[in-house]
Amino acid sequence: MIFFIGVFVLVPWLIEMSGRWDYYYTLTSVALLSIASAGVWLTFYIGRINIGQGAYALAGGYLSAVLVTQYEVSFWLTIPLAGLFCAVLSMLIGLPILRLKGVYFAMITLVLTEVAKLTALALPITNGAKGIVSIPLPGELSVFGMTIIPDFSTLENVKLAFYYLAVTLMVICFAGMYRLVNSRMGHLCRSLQQNEELASSIGVNITTLRITAYAISSFLGGVGGSIFVAISQSIYPTSFQVADSINFMLNVFVGGLGYVFGPMLGTVVIYFGWDLLFQTGKFQLLIYSSILILLMLTVPNGLLSLRLFKWNKEKK
Amino acid sequence: MFVNSFSKYAGLKASLMTAALALTSVHSPITLAANEVLKIGFVGVTSGPAASWGISNQRSMEAGAAIINDNGGVKIGSVTYDLEIVSFDDQKDPKRAIAGMEKMAQENIHYVVGPNVDDGAAAVRPVAEQNDIIYFPYAFPKSLYQKPASNAVLGMVANYQSGPAIYKFLKDNNGVNTVAFIAANESDPLTQRESGVAAAEALGLKVVSKTVTYQVDTTDFSPVIIPIVKLQPDLLVLSGVAPANAPQIIRSARELGFKGLISTETGQDAQVLQEGAGSLANGFISVGGASTPTIRTKNMEAFIARYTEMFGEYNDESNTKVYALEYIVETLKANPAAINNVDEFKKTMDTFSAPNQYLKGDQVLRYVGMSSFGQRRQLSIPLVVNVYNEGKFETLFIAEVD
Amino acid sequence: MSSENIVMEQVLVNGLYLGMQYALIALGLTLIFALMNVLNFAHGQLYVVGGFITYIIYGKLGLPFFVAIVASGVTLGLVGAVIEKFLFRPVIRKSVREESTMLLAAAIAFFLDAIILLLFGEKQRGVPKILDGVMNLDFVVIMPYDRILIAALAGSAVVTFILFMQYSKPGRAMRALAQDRIAAQLMGVNVDRYSMIGFALGAMLAGVAGGLLVSIVGVNSGIGGPVSIKAFMMVMIGGAGVISGAIAGGFILGMLESIGLTVLVAYGDLTYLVIFVSLMIFLSIRPQGLMGKPWG
Repeated sequence: MIFFIGVFVLVPWLIEMSGRWDYYYTLTSVALLSIASAGVWLTFYIGRINIGQGAYALAGGYLSAVLVTQYEVSFWLTIPLAGLFCAVLSMLIGLPILRLKGVYFAMITLVLTEVAKLTALALPITNGAKGIVSIPLPGELSVFGMTIIPDFSTLENVKLAFYYLAVTLMVICFAGMYRLVNSRMGHLCRSLQQNEELASSIGVNITTLRITAYAISSFLGGVGGSIFVAISQSIYPTSFQVADSINFMLNVFVGGLGYVFGPMLGTVVIYFGWDLLFQTGKFQLLIYSSILILLMLTVPNGLLSLRLFKWNKEKK
Repeated sequence: MFVNSFSKYAGLKASLMTAALALTSVHSPITLAANEVLKIGFVGVTSGPAASWGISNQRSMEAGAAIINDNGGVKIGSVTYDLEIVSFDDQKDPKRAIAGMEKMAQENIHYVVGPNVDDGAAAVRPVAEQNDIIYFPYAFPKSLYQKPASNAVLGMVANYQSGPAIYKFLKDNNGVNTVAFIAANESDPLTQRESGVAAAEALGLKVVSKTVTYQVDTTDFSPVIIPIVKLQPDLLVLSGVAPANAPQIIRSARELGFKGLISTETGQDAQVLQEGAGSLANGFISVGGASTPTIRTKNMEAFIARYTEMFGEYNDESNTKVYALEYIVETLKANPAAINNVDEFKKTMDTFSAPNQYLKGDQVLRYVGMSSFGQRRQLSIPLVVNVYNEGKFETLFIAEVD
Repeated sequence: MSSENIVMEQVLVNGLYLGMQYALIALGLTLIFALMNVLNFAHGQLYVVGGFITYIIYGKLGLPFFVAIVASGVTLGLVGAVIEKFLFRPVIRKSVREESTMLLAAAIAFFLDAIILLLFGEKQRGVPKILDGVMNLDFVVIMPYDRILIAALAGSAVVTFILFMQYSKPGRAMRALAQDRIAAQLMGVNVDRYSMIGFALGAMLAGVAGGLLVSIVGVNSGIGGPVSIKAFMMVMIGGAGVISGAIAGGFILGMLESIGLTVLVAYGDLTYLVIFVSLMIFLSIRPQGLMGKPWG
């Protein structure tokens, strides 16, 4: 509850007071990237190192862009569609590749990111190298004639609108993840992470479980990607690339692999950290990477392992 | 008319004021402080494999600003400003580029150079338009510069402008009939290849190969280049080639026995070519700005000296990148009201003209692009076509874009 | 373009040459993986550092090429030892899940990227050719002499490495370690010591590869990341943590690129898509690569 008030009231108020309008975009990015990272976290939860989330973010982004520009589908509808598209896609891809473990799975997902980029470059529907540009802002969302969300292009402050959209989705996403992890499926996933053979011997259908988890993961990637496209009003094959896939993974690590809210904290630290270091000019990357190394040396199991966040542990 | 008389008046007033200032400060020779600060932004890639593009950009701006500040700043209207360059590394990620543009808006900056690539330039458009920022990308997609877009100004000569000029010259002077294209498998080079092919075909040249691509991380170009070497075209065009890749491609092609000409439409660095391909790069044709000693002025020499002093080594890519800051400052001088008002800037763009202080001759700085974009959204940078020879560039010909 | 124009011999020779250089790059990566189960994201950056050291010593100071290569190898060996002892070892000891080392490796990669850019600048660098001239066999096979020499040097480095692993005491200890860490420990192998030696050796191989190749393709500060990723692919093709696998993976990727680029030239942009998709299919069918054990 405190969190709710924090993101919906306190943060906008602080931004208003301090005049740091640029933080809206920063925080919107954090929210969206943490949604995608939450997906990566879930695949870690079943014991798979996923460096392929960029592929699904890109796929989701393109699906939204194509539907909005070529078929005039409402942007709002394309958000779940992008997620579903990625979920179905990931089931097809996941079926063969989820049999792989450890670095092999990591590697094949890394290649997948590259494949997604090359596919976007090659396909006619994605407009190849030229990308899709001048995508309109999200239109009005109304149910039975009642406006639920106004047309973004009529809004005074688009940044704030995107911020609310992103954090709303983030809250839903992490609430869902929390439920999931504490459900029967969550327990089964945990057993999968520890010992697949054992899990299978006690009658868990590991294939279905793995694919479900991977599909949920990719769904989140697709949703994150589709909203980024609306913000930048453009998408290119390089909008999400290997570096993004690696960053998603880093977010999860920094937050802590064992904690549902790890990806959120990790994204805040990694993305915001980079942003704050903007002042340091050419030493930005040096300082940033030094801090990462120090973090690893002091809290190798993620920030949440510090147990400053006791409430989280107790609830588990 | 109003703009003109206003600026004249402002200039007069300003000079009176400096005179007054000079009188009052006779007794204190150190009068460094007290200039206001004018921030100009840069959003581009200054790390990773493409760092060369952004770094030469950023450093050009910093060297240019340092020269101006050393001379006591720049007087815009009645106020004298010191320039401060605010840089943001977008890591060649369009999402970061948006964040960078937001930072610029936060710093109340209205004039930003960059981004360096297509995807970044397209991604920052909404932010730039919402926050009244005029930005100067080094990216070629026409949609950025055509209506309804109005805040982007192309910072260099586009390849669909330089390409035809180069091909025509080589066709007329070197008897080039067949041409092959090679491009990195990335948005910018592929798009440039497409427009290059169209330009060559329009000139009646025979395009013998236009499908060879390479990954940006290629470390050995021999396998890539073999199919083209076997065809022996008269001209091999390296579309949108990164300065890091150019010497390697040239070296592989020559070692495998390629005899024809090699050209590109992007700026290159002589030192890089020298180290990477040595004399094999002789005859390589590329595009530059104030790039050879015969055509550059003393001011350009001073700029190069300053750049070298500040950063240890000059980069020839800056021969074209020296201009963006100059344009921003000169346009603001021409219309001081534009300093916080981009609409004034846009108005001035239609009529603006100033002498080109980096190039000998009577070329002027002005905004062009009518024939390519239907509005003046491009910096007129002299299209200087160079040929590399033993560690140095020599000027092949000079043309102008309209 | 028709296929008669393509001289297959040339394509094969190029593939072999490419494979040789890839194998050398992949060896160090696979060694580190075998010993410590660490996927070293910073491998490409180590390669770049090696390249720049040779650039400075041979290209700038004008000392003999051989001296420069040795300097690259030795420096990188030291760097590798330091990284293992002060970074990887404490993190591996403290972390619950061993994947955590991937973050450390990525952070080290960023760190080296930053240092390299600050020290050596943004430009592509190259050194004077070590040998002039081109071997030309009836225009069927064309190969510059310097490439032949580099391929030979790379080959001898690979052979030396294999002999070292087979017959020397540290080599045998490392192989034992790679096979079964706990068993090796019980048999009295000093795990800490040989992990450090192994990491140093892996880094040294990256440095030597960088030093050798700078004379052909040059080096620039941003190429580290892409080199790492390419090296991962070779290692996966051959089977992670298996030395012969890394060599095979290097040659296969080299051949795949060389042949693919020629055969698929008409489809241009699709060449790499085809290569990557086949790689994915291959790995799904044979997850452990060609010669790897299905551990991972």
